Amino acid sequence: MTAIAPLASRRNQLRARRSGVNTPTLRMALPSKGMEQQTLDFLALCGMKVSRPNPRQYRATIPALAGVEVLFQRVTDVFAKVAEGSVDLGITGYDVVREHQREDDGVLMLEKALGYAGCALVLAVPEGWIDVSSVIDVAEISAEFRRRGRDLRVATKYPNLTRQFLFDNGINYFTIVESDGALEAAPALNAADVIVDIVSSGVTLRENRLKRLSGGTIVESEACLIGNRTALRDSPEKLEIVRQVLELIEAQMRSREYFSLTGNIRGDSPEAVARRVTSHTEVAGLRGPTISRVYPKLGGEEGWYAATVVVQSKLLLQAIDALRRAGAGDVSVAPLRYMFQSKCWSFEALRRQLSDRGTDE
Amino acid sequence: METLDVQRVRGMNDALPGEDARLRALTATLRDHFERFGYRGIDTPVLENLDLFLRKSGEEVAARMYTFTHWNRKLCLRPELTASVMRAYVGNLRDRPLPVRVHYAGPTFRYEKPQRGRYRQFTQVGIECIGAGGPSADAEVLAAACGALERTGLVGFRVVLGHLGVVLQLLEQLGIDEHGQNLILGNMEALARRGAAPDEVLPRILGLMGVGNAADLNADTEHDDEDSISLLPSLLSEFGSEGAAHVASDLLARANLMLEGGTRTPEEIVSRLVAKAGRPDPTDRVARAVDFIVQLQRLAGPPEVAFGRIGALLAEHELDPAPLREIERALALLPSYGVNQPEVVVDLSLGRGLRYYTGLVFELHADAVGGVSSQIGGGGRYDDLVRSLGGREGVPACGFSFGLERIKLALDAEGSEPTGDRAVDVVVAPIDEDDEPPAVAIATRLRQAGLDVELDVRRRGVRANLRHADRERVPYVVIVGERERVDGRALLRDMASRSEQALDADALVAAVRTGR
Repeated sequence: MTAIAPLASRRNQLRARRSGVNTPTLRMALPSKGMEQQTLDFLALCGMKVSRPNPRQYRATIPALAGVEVLFQRVTDVFAKVAEGSVDLGITGYDVVREHQREDDGVLMLEKALGYAGCALVLAVPEGWIDVSSVIDVAEISAEFRRRGRDLRVATKYPNLTRQFLFDNGINYFTIVESDGALEAAPALNAADVIVDIVSSGVTLRENRLKRLSGGTIVESEACLIGNRTALRDSPEKLEIVRQVLELIEAQMRSREYFSLTGNIRGDSPEAVARRVTSHTEVAGLRGPTISRVYPKLGGEEGWYAATVVVQSKLLLQAIDALRRAGAGDVSVAPLRYMFQSKCWSFEALRRQLSDRGTDE
Repeated sequence: METLDVQRVRGMNDALPGEDARLRALTATLRDHFERFGYRGIDTPVLENLDLFLRKSGEEVAARMYTFTHWNRKLCLRPELTASVMRAYVGNLRDRPLPVRVHYAGPTFRYEKPQRGRYRQFTQVGIECIGAGGPSADAEVLAAACGALERTGLVGFRVVLGHLGVVLQLLEQLGIDEHGQNLILGNMEALARRGAAPDEVLPRILGLMGVGNAADLNADTEHDDEDSISLLPSLLSEFGSEGAAHVASDLLARANLMLEGGTRTPEEIVSRLVAKAGRPDPTDRVARAVDFIVQLQRLAGPPEVAFGRIGALLAEHELDPAPLREIERALALLPSYGVNQPEVVVDLSLGRGLRYYTGLVFELHADAVGGVSSQIGGGGRYDDLVRSLGGREGVPACGFSFGLERIKLALDAEGSEPTGDRAVDVVVAPIDEDDEPPAVAIATRLRQAGLDVELDVRRRGVRANLRHADRERVPYVVIVGERERVDGRALLRDMASRSEQALDADALVAAVRTGR
């Protein structure tokens, strides 16, 4: 590497001068199709808006994170680039990671579920197979096929997960038909008997007269964040950027579970208002309410205080009622942008992963 | 420069010199013992057609095989040797007088989580006795296994003896179909060995049989037509099997359900639907089978107590006690085989995880591996395997295999003296280039005399050679220098006594041989 590095970095400098970007400290691959817009929205929400001079370009930057270069790749390529180390960080589908991962590929799972691009890898059969409602039925049919001298043909883009799933369910006799085209059409075209494919809404399956089965879900998937182990282990600069990314993602995702509520309450003193509020556990907040004085406008009443509490989203209406009981007239509710805790837990988990090397025994 | 070293594949180990010598010595000891019983060596390919292992292996093994498609042919690395040996028998050995007795040793592969004593490539050493039924052959195989372990010097091991005949009888009596039987036998291991609670195993079996709601645990919430379709079979059952197909076709036509387009014909689908509707709910029977297996496991113990207790249970269920008699007869023969009575546990819930066993089964466990008992071998009777591999007639057969690496671990844990790993007998060191021809000639003479000779091909010099011999515990060093060229004698140094003698070639051979 030492012999090549100066050359490579000079090339980077040249490229950087040409494009007007500094040599990136960290490369991050984002999915270019399917999940692209959702990913850009997600990053923007987390405060990492991607700046792309031209939507046709496949390079971009994240102004909020100095030294990050963004590359747009197909979801499977995102995984491959992170695995080979030409990219340090990537967002791809969890299903893709499960299918393509190897034990020794050095890909670290940094955040398994980013909360969007949800889908499932499922086994589906023709709707007309009315005698089939579960995976067990498929096992029986594969045995029946076998007696008549043929294999159950399964069309999929996910041969590894499919093979494991079928064996685990006692389906031993099958042929995987690897196909990149329209899988859903395979049974109708007599290219396969059943399919294993990604389903999000189920509309495509239904339109192709296919149905899901009980026990037929192989993997539930969402967008996920992965990183290259070697890159993050050997470069403190990269690790620092990853820390920032994880901090923002984790705090943003956590913030969705909370609202900030502010109600105006009349009382003799801040302490008196605080006592009234904390007597209702629903609005005790994470630590307790923040009470601040409301300065009346000209001619307004004295003795009003604003009590602010952060509550879980699912308890919103209960909290509003509690504030009312504590004497609040009107309550304003604001979503949170971030919710940081004492530590970034996903970064702590990453540090643990980096320090313990997988061993054989 | 970034290192480009290639790592070994996870779970696969190098047997380095020393380790390799020990494993080979151990293999030789075991196979030599089998030769005493008239078994002869056989070797089969590591690569097999996938189909061979799918016939009778069961999910436990099938899901853990290394399988791949090579030019459209489905192949796998063998997960065990019995099926390969039986395939070789069916293909090539059927004209031999029975029984055919063979022993084997070779690498096998299973994709499991690697841990101490469990590797993805491991070595099986074992025997198969093909064409002999009954306890006489069972006893021979069991005695050969125990005797072979004694030969290796292993002291603390235990024999667990079972018999599939009892559970198979019960399943037959309960009228559980083959699919169900396989599932129950496959889960016997989980029930008995790993101490899984019956109320965890029962829903699992029922789920895999398509009964109960275990299969629906990860069912998809958005199914809307699921309920109506699962009602159909029960509806159909009211019409009897005669009119059912007709009614079904009619119903389907009314529902405007497209049965064509897929790869199964409407007739196939309807007839299976009717057949499915006619099946009685097996829940109760499976629960009784599971309960029975748990009882068997509780009654396990040393033969003198277990036979009575298990006999009573069999009588209660009106099951034929013949399997128990077979175990008794096999056990009774062991003392005559000279096997020093090992600790025996009779446990009729022993299942072995493989589907092909039909009669007596056994496992051998070492006591001392890290304080926990470790299975080092196992086997049993599989009277149906030949037929399922294409043999026209059923041929009774039995056999067993050891996990070679497990035996080695058990011996290590007992602190037994390693055998097989020994230094060479002598180092022959020429001093100058001119000394090489006589040195090579002396080395050759020593080798012809059956000695292990290491020739110094790096010309390290006398002192370095002596240091090397010392470190590697080589007892003798022969130094070939000017004198050899002059009077045909070389200097023999005895590393233990540090004495040196100038000897001619014959005397050298004699001296090293006696000192060996």
